[in-house]
Amino acid sequence: MLAPSAPAIPADGIQLDRGALSAQHLQVFYGRKQALFDVDIDLTPHTVNALIGPSGCGKTTFLRAINRLHDLTPEARVEGKILLDGIDIYDRSIDPVDLRRRVGMVFQKPNPFPTMSVVDNVTAGLRLTGVRHRGKLQEAAERALVQAALWDEVKDRLRQPALRLSGGQQQRLCIARALAVEPEVLLMDEPTSALDPQSTARIEDLLGSLKQQVTVIIVTHNMQQAARISDTTAFFLAGSLVELGPTDAIFTNPSDPRTEAYVTGRFG
Amino acid sequence: MSLTARRSPTPRGLRRRRLRGQIGWTLSGLSVLLVAFPLIDLLAVIVEKGLRALSPTLFTQVTNGISGGLWNAIQGTLLLVVGALVFAVPIGVLSGIYVAEWPRSRFAGLVRFVADVMTGIPSVVLGYFGYITMVIGLGWQFSLLAGAITLALMVIPYIARTTELAMLNIGHDIREAGSALGLSQGTVIFRVVLPGALSGVLSGIMLAVAISVGETAPLIYTAGWSNYAWNGSLVHAPVGYLTYVIWTFINQPFASAHALAFAAALLVIALVLLVNAITRTLLQRR
Repeated sequence: MLAPSAPAIPADGIQLDRGALSAQHLQVFYGRKQALFDVDIDLTPHTVNALIGPSGCGKTTFLRAINRLHDLTPEARVEGKILLDGIDIYDRSIDPVDLRRRVGMVFQKPNPFPTMSVVDNVTAGLRLTGVRHRGKLQEAAERALVQAALWDEVKDRLRQPALRLSGGQQQRLCIARALAVEPEVLLMDEPTSALDPQSTARIEDLLGSLKQQVTVIIVTHNMQQAARISDTTAFFLAGSLVELGPTDAIFTNPSDPRTEAYVTGRFG
Repeated sequence: MSLTARRSPTPRGLRRRRLRGQIGWTLSGLSVLLVAFPLIDLLAVIVEKGLRALSPTLFTQVTNGISGGLWNAIQGTLLLVVGALVFAVPIGVLSGIYVAEWPRSRFAGLVRFVADVMTGIPSVVLGYFGYITMVIGLGWQFSLLAGAITLALMVIPYIARTTELAMLNIGHDIREAGSALGLSQGTVIFRVVLPGALSGVLSGIMLAVAISVGETAPLIYTAGWSNYAWNGSLVHAPVGYLTYVIWTFINQPFASAHALAFAAALLVIALVLLVNAITRTLLQRR
């Protein structure tokens, strides 16, 4: 396996055990509508954290606050703090573009860059930010593709258009693309909801090894999936965090009756 | 009505429906002929008379009064088109990108409004605008630069619009993927979205070329006309162009003038067809 390497973007306050994340009094508004209410959360580095809850409960809103993707939506507004390795990412000194290199994201639908080849997709985050060194790019591409468990399937067709891969392969390509810039945190927004069961299983298998590199935060609608893959689970309801705890506890012995009702399938 | 009639159409009802269908198809076919016949007739006349007038000297000699060759006009048309693209491509493409990426900004609204108005202006009015501002106002006289800029003004809205549409064709998810990867907005637009929109942008540019090749009115007051090949100057020297030959020479009472006019028309049509063919291949490669 590969040795953990130095962060791509050196920034103050990055510790050896990077990827610690906590939110404090986090609120998100879309125009006048409040989507997230006073969320406090603490996540341990190198764990897989599942966010569950019914549609519209704020899981994705929370996820998109972590890489400041809300900045791109004119009517969205974020209040409160999110600390990444002890530093508030909403502090004025933080450039959201730099932040997003430390916090990667994988979306619901595979979205490889359509004009690029497989390898160009993987290295896009490096190439388009000025990395020219051929050897470095090649090395990063192979490492990321191995981490995303895609290398064996694409090593002979790295120069082919990315869109020629299957849906499941495209999604793992997107994971590789996010990993290539060596982020500390990987956000996944229902990454398997558009995939068949086999591709889903491959990505689930992958998460266990991914947490050695990154802190994984994954939104899922599939509670069996959350139970299978995550170390901790957070249950959101109507924009609030109801309960956060070890996945075992959430699913077998939740402390909040609403959590119990949801995980036992009585609503949602 | 009886029950049986409702269950299956009587032979009479069926016959009436068939008849109505046939009438409809006949009318459609006639309409197609009505549209296609003048076009085919036009093309046939131009191709026949143009081919008869075609000779190698057309491409080597300059026009001499109402006879001679067309080299000055061919060269002039190409120069004017290239000149127009020099101004129109950067301005048109960049404003198209702007309007696509910041659709709600006030400036984008202004750009869209100006573009809409400009596409509605008759080209001869644009020509007169060029005459007043550049030929007279700036003292450039009839010149390549005045003609090229006037043509550019005419085609910028087309390039901007096709660029905008091509950019909007690339999904929001691709832009988000780029941003989430830590790319700046500029990098996302120019290195991720624009390459995907390139074939659409190119087809807009090709449309601009086709329009420029075929226009007369904006050039009459700005490029003038010259019997001589280009002397290398951008201002103070009129230039010839193919559409002028068509427009003027066909009115002369001389066979040699008519021959030149038909040859010029054939060349213009060939150029436009060529540009269209290139555009189609570009779009198909996508």
